[in-house]
Amino acid sequence: MSASSLRPAGTRAWTPGKVVGNILGGLVTLALVLFAVFPQLWMLISSFRPPTELFISPPTLFPSAFTVEWYLEAFAGSNAFRWFGNSLIVAVATSLISCTVGTLAGYALSRFVYPGRKGFMLLLTSAYLFPAILLLMPLYLMLANYRLVGSLGAIVLAHLLITLPLSTWLMKSFVDAVPRELEEAALVDGCGPFRAFMKVTFPLLRTGLATTWLFSFILSWDEYLFAATLSNGQSATVPVGIASFVSSFDVRWGAIMALGTLVTVPVVVLFVFLQRYFEKGITAGGVKG
Amino acid sequence: MLLGRNGLFGRGLVAQERRLGLAFSLPATLVFLLVLAYPIFENFRASLLDLDLVGKNPAFVGLDNFAEIGRDANLWRSLGNTLIWTVGSLAGQLGLGLAAALLIDRPLPGMRWIRQLLLMPYVVPVIASALVWQWMLDGNYGIFSAQLQSWGMLPLGASPLGLESSSLATVIVINIWRGFPFAMLVYWAALQSIDQTQYEAAMVDGANAVQRFFHITLPNLASATLSLVAVRGLFTLMYFELIWLTTRGGPAGSSEVMATYLYKLIMGEFRLGYAAAIAVTVGLFILLVLALWRLGRRLAVKR
Repeated sequence: MSASSLRPAGTRAWTPGKVVGNILGGLVTLALVLFAVFPQLWMLISSFRPPTELFISPPTLFPSAFTVEWYLEAFAGSNAFRWFGNSLIVAVATSLISCTVGTLAGYALSRFVYPGRKGFMLLLTSAYLFPAILLLMPLYLMLANYRLVGSLGAIVLAHLLITLPLSTWLMKSFVDAVPRELEEAALVDGCGPFRAFMKVTFPLLRTGLATTWLFSFILSWDEYLFAATLSNGQSATVPVGIASFVSSFDVRWGAIMALGTLVTVPVVVLFVFLQRYFEKGITAGGVKG
Repeated sequence: MLLGRNGLFGRGLVAQERRLGLAFSLPATLVFLLVLAYPIFENFRASLLDLDLVGKNPAFVGLDNFAEIGRDANLWRSLGNTLIWTVGSLAGQLGLGLAAALLIDRPLPGMRWIRQLLLMPYVVPVIASALVWQWMLDGNYGIFSAQLQSWGMLPLGASPLGLESSSLATVIVINIWRGFPFAMLVYWAALQSIDQTQYEAAMVDGANAVQRFFHITLPNLASATLSLVAVRGLFTLMYFELIWLTTRGGPAGSSEVMATYLYKLIMGEFRLGYAAAIAVTVGLFILLVLALWRLGRRLAVKR
């Protein structure tokens, strides 16, 4: 049942109490919004603030001038181009693999009864619930054994541990929502189950795929722990690079705020365009992060 | 099971579907075996060894690593911090999340935009959030610290992240900020699925807003709360990144939680055998809690 069918609009009259309540509610909402977005705004403002105004005590709220020199410094004084390239490769590879493998597995779980299904569910639930930090050491040892530490592939593999349970779970819930009768009609028409999946169900999973891809991409783009442990200087992703920037120089806050802004922008842009998918994903109950 | 029309090698539709189910699960199964099952097995093995990064032939030490857990005062301290961190973060995230959900659950124009803004803390990468909070709380130039200092709540030149007395509380506040939008969305979805006739009936009976909240809204949010506590609780318990990127567990271990302690053992001290023993213990503990949880739910359903 959708919300609109539950709530007939405009059936309640406006009373003075309601007006006061709404104004109060509006003020509290405003305060909450400010609390939520102030840090991001501050990051943005700081990244464009001239050095003479960045390091003054007490700090001022609004800068009198804007500068892009922190952005230039961030790229001149570091491997930032490389970090962004690495992050893009890792996040795109992780999200594509995760979507493909997760769609297949989610479809199997939703539609078929087959030997090993229970065991697979157990594996999936464990992967979903198991804290990443507990797997750090053995995963590191395993990848070090095969001399994979320092490669982007190692990071992708580790990120699959985080994104694949989520992708599978989300895709299962999206396949659940497609009526079985559609496939059954195709089966009656002589399609095999594989063709029924490809021709009938798969095209209806676009929303689901967008949601799943969005979450996989963002989770991989944001991830720090595995990326930090499994990378070297050449294969550092953006979060790892920024973190190393903090500890290896005297703390250059302007440049750090510039990099922080740049790592945030792609995520926020994706989010603004795909907000309804994002909300769907969280309320579908598959996300833990 | 293998032969016959609907056996695994049969030609019937059921057999075809079984094969397809197996084939479709296979890639994911392989990934999980590789990055989950095998590492867990290796972890069990490592917990019985005196293992470091350079040692070629680590000695078998039996349960020595597990025995050390009992003697490790730092570990117990980090366990205490972990509990405070988890309970504090959850209480704050769920409380603020519920308040925010009630605020956005009104049919006013522009709510989509407000929701979008309120979701920002959860969307922004943790590295950016951790660093901007560090910057806002900087002892000399931080906008929040300056304000706190001018009110006399903070010594001059100090950051709340850098004081032993306030570091844990400060990272909890940051974590509440980061996580409340998640709880907000879950509660908001739950609010929307409440049958409105319940409210109408209560209003006919003369119940006021407060009574309606406590007798209709809250009971209807019980299952959302339970799943939030379970999923976010488990996640927060071993959440590493936010604390590591703000305080690294410091100063002087005052914000050390199990996750950062474990990370230091592995990547700082290379005491892999001992770290494995801790991981096994924590893993078994989580398993136990989950088993009890399922048992409890089963009993609750039966009743």
